[in-house]
Amino acid sequence: MTADQVTLSELERDALTEIVNIGVSRAASSLRKMIGDQVLLSVPSIEVVNQRRAARLISEREVVDLVAVRQDFSGPFSGRALLIFPETNSLELVRAVTGGELSAEEVVEMEQEALAETGNVILNSCLATMANMLKRSLSMTIPEVLRGNGALLFEVDEEAAADGLVLFLYIDFAVRQRDIRGYIAMLMDIPSLSTLKELLDEFIARIVGEDG
Amino acid sequence: MADDTQAISADQLRAAMAAAGASGAWDWNIVRDELTVDARFAELYGLSEELVGKPLPTTTFFRAIHPDDRARIRIAVAGLLAGAELFSKEFRVVAPHGSTLWMHGRGQSHLNDQDEPVRFTGLMVDVTDRKRTEERLRVAQSAGGVGTFEYQDGFATVSVSGEFCRLLGLHPAERLPVRTINAVVCDGEELLIPEDGKAPVSLDREFRVRRSDDEAERWIARRGEVIRDVEGSGYRLLGVIYDVTLSKLQEMRLRELNDTLEQRVAQEIEERLRTEETLRQAQKMEAVGQLTGGIAHDFNNLLTIITGSIDMASRRLDSSADPRVGRALEHAMRGAERAAALTQRLLAFSRRQPLDPRTVDVPRLLAGMSDLLTRTITEAVAIAIDAPDDVWTIEADRHQLENAILNLAVNGRDAMPQGGSLTITARNRSVRADERSDGQLVAGDYVAIEVIDEGVGMDVETLGKVFDPFFTTKEVGKGTGLGLSMVYGFAKQSGGSVLIKSTPGVGTTVTLLLARSIQDTEAPMDTARDDEPSGSASETILVVEDDDDVRAYTVGTLRELGYRVMEAHDGPTALALLEKQEQPVKLLITDVVMPQMSGSELAAAARERQPGLNILYTSGYPRDAIMRDGRLDHGVDLLPKPFTLRTLASRVREIIDRG
Repeated sequence: MTADQVTLSELERDALTEIVNIGVSRAASSLRKMIGDQVLLSVPSIEVVNQRRAARLISEREVVDLVAVRQDFSGPFSGRALLIFPETNSLELVRAVTGGELSAEEVVEMEQEALAETGNVILNSCLATMANMLKRSLSMTIPEVLRGNGALLFEVDEEAAADGLVLFLYIDFAVRQRDIRGYIAMLMDIPSLSTLKELLDEFIARIVGEDG
Repeated sequence: MADDTQAISADQLRAAMAAAGASGAWDWNIVRDELTVDARFAELYGLSEELVGKPLPTTTFFRAIHPDDRARIRIAVAGLLAGAELFSKEFRVVAPHGSTLWMHGRGQSHLNDQDEPVRFTGLMVDVTDRKRTEERLRVAQSAGGVGTFEYQDGFATVSVSGEFCRLLGLHPAERLPVRTINAVVCDGEELLIPEDGKAPVSLDREFRVRRSDDEAERWIARRGEVIRDVEGSGYRLLGVIYDVTLSKLQEMRLRELNDTLEQRVAQEIEERLRTEETLRQAQKMEAVGQLTGGIAHDFNNLLTIITGSIDMASRRLDSSADPRVGRALEHAMRGAERAAALTQRLLAFSRRQPLDPRTVDVPRLLAGMSDLLTRTITEAVAIAIDAPDDVWTIEADRHQLENAILNLAVNGRDAMPQGGSLTITARNRSVRADERSDGQLVAGDYVAIEVIDEGVGMDVETLGKVFDPFFTTKEVGKGTGLGLSMVYGFAKQSGGSVLIKSTPGVGTTVTLLLARSIQDTEAPMDTARDDEPSGSASETILVVEDDDDVRAYTVGTLRELGYRVMEAHDGPTALALLEKQEQPVKLLITDVVMPQMSGSELAAAARERQPGLNILYTSGYPRDAIMRDGRLDHGVDLLPKPFTLRTLASRVREIIDRG
C-alpha cells in the first residue's frame, strides 16, 4: 500500500479541519480560563505528506530550530501528535501565557513547563474532539517537550513507521495581540490513516447525509 | 440565557449589513434550532419579504448554496455547532434569477457560561468580482509561469503565490521566510529578497537559483515595483518572478559565439591566406607551364628544321666525302637530340605531356634512365637499380613513367641531405582479391616499382597528406608540391596505384604498382627500322603547316620518299586545295596549333569533304586541342616535333597502309 492510496479527499480534509477546529476552539477556551485573556485559535488548512516531505516542508517555512510538544495516542488509529513552534515563538507563547510579567530568566526557566502544559491543553483538546466527533475513544500519553530541526522531529524518530504519513495542520494563535504561528503534526502509519479516513467518511455521511 | 437566544432585530441586521456592505446576515439560534435572516439574505435566497426576521428552519441556510459546495458548508457549520469558534468559508449561492454568486461567509459562535455554543451569527459578502479576478490571476500565473510576491521591509516572511513556490521548487505556501527564499539563490548571486533593509533601486534583475526540490539550476527573472512608504524610510516590494533559463542559455550561446567571432575570423583569414598562397603557387605553375609550353612549341619547330636538315645533309654525303664533315653532322645531330630531350622534359615538368600508353619493358626503361638519374642525383647519394629481366611488361606512357620515377628519386635525394643510398627495384607482384590494401586496386598481375631511400622519413600525419596536391615538406619555392600528386594521378590514370611506407629516421619506400600488359613484347621503337619505307606518286599527301621552314622540310622529305605532296600554310587554303582534287587525298598532315583555324577544326572540316580521311597531327605542344583528360583522343595520330625523316616515313606509311 502506498501513500497515494490513503490520500484524503477534499471533503475528508474539510471534515478533519473542522474537527480539529472544534478541538482548538475548545483548547482556546481552556487557555482563556487559564490566563484570563482572549485567546483565538484556528486551523486554516491541512495537508497529508510523507515524513520526509513534512521535515522539508517545515524547514522551508521555519529557518530557526523548533520546539515541539509530543503526545502519543492509541485507539482505532494510533500515532504521535506534535505541536510545533519555531523556537523564537515558544518564548513568546510562554510570555503570553504567563502574562508577560516574568523576567527573561524566569521565562526560560518556566518555558519547559509552560510549553508542556499549553501543548497538553491543545493536543488533548484536538485528540479528544477527534475521538468524540468520530465516536471512538483514544488514550494519550503525558506530553514531552522536544527541540531540534524538522528532520529530527520527523525522521530520526525510530518509533514511527518508515512509510509513515503526516497529517500536517497549520495553526494560528492570537494571544494578547501577539500572533504566533504553529503547526500540529500527526504522524500515523498507513493502516491508522486508512482507519481515520473510514471514520471521517462515516462522520461526513452523518452530517451531509441528511439532505445531500 | 434569554439574552443569548433573543433574535437580533431587523434594524440591527440592516445596520450591520450597511456597515459591512454585506449581501446578507444571519442569526442561527442553536438552542431553538431556528434561523433568522435579514432582507438582503431573504432577497438573495429568494425568500418572501414577510419571512425577514421570522424564525425559519435552520436547513433554509443551505437551500440556495450551490449543490457542489453544500456538503463542504454543512461540515463547516457542523463544526461550528459542535464547538468551533470561527466560520470563514467561500461558497456559491444560486440567486433566484438563476445567476451564481460567489459569497464569503464569515461567522462566529457564541458560547454560554458552560462553553456550549448557543448562537451562530454571520454575514455573507458578494465576492464574485474578487473571485473572478483571483481566477484570472491564478490562470495568468499558472499559464504564464509567473509567480507573485509581496514583501514588506522589516518582516521575516514574504507573501507568495503557489506559482512562486513552484518556480523555486518549494512546497506551496502563502508565506515563506525571507531566508528560505534566499537559500535557493546560487552562491555569488544577489539575494532575491534584500535582507539589509535598504530599498533596492529596481526589482529588475536575473538570478541563478538551485531549485529546492530537484536541485536543477535555473535562471529566474525578477520584475516589479518598489513602493515607498509615504512617511519614513520603509518600503514594500511588489513583484513577479519567472523562469528565463531558456532565453538565458540562448543569450549565453550567442555571447559565446560573439566572443569567439574574432578568433573564428582570424582562423578564416589564415585559411584564406593559405588558400591564396596555394592558388598563387598554382598560378605560378600554370604560368611556368604556359611559358615552357610556348617555348617548347617554337623550339620544336626549330629543332625539326635543324634535325631534318642535318638528316638531309647526312644522306647526301657519299663515302668519298671528308669524314670530318660526317662527324660534324653527327655531333650536330646529337646536340639537336639533346635539345629535343630537354624540351621534352620541360613539357613533362609543366604537365603538358599527353598520355600515350604503350607496352613498356620496365628493366629496359630503368636501364635507360640510369644516365639521367646519375646526373640528377648528387654524388653523395649512391643509386642502385635492381630490375631482373623476367619482370613483366606493363602498359604505360613511358615518358610519364620516367617522369614519375625521376620525381620519386628526386624526393629520395632531398630526404637524404647527408647522403645515403637510393634503391630502385622492379618486381612482379600478383594482387589477390583478398589482399587489396587500399580497396581500389583491382585484383591481378602488377609490376611493382619501388623507390627506397634511407632518409629522414615521415610521421603518420605527414603520410596522410603526401598525395594532396600542393602538399610539400620542402621550403617554399623548392618543391612544387605536385610531385607525389602527379605520380599518384599518373598511377591511377594508368590503372595502378601508389603505396607509401615511411618510418621517421629510417627511410621511405614508395611503391608504384602498374598493371601487367597483355602484350609480352615492347612495342617496336619508331626508330627501330633501318630503311625508311617509301611512297608512290599515286599517294597524295596534303601538308598544312604555318611555319614555312618546317613546311618546306616536311614537304621536301615526303617528296623525297616518293609521295605526291601538296602544301598549304593555313586551314582555309588547305580546304580549298582539297576541294580541287580529283584524286582523293591519302593523308592530311597538319600542325595542331595554327592561327585562324586549328588543326582539329581543319581535320573536322576536311573529313566533311572527304569522309574517312586519314589525319596525322604534328606538334611541339599540342595543348588541349586534341587531348581529353591528358590522353589522346581515340583514332588520333600524333607525331611529336621534332621528328626525323625516319619517324615521319614510318608513321606516314603505317597510317596509309592501315587506312
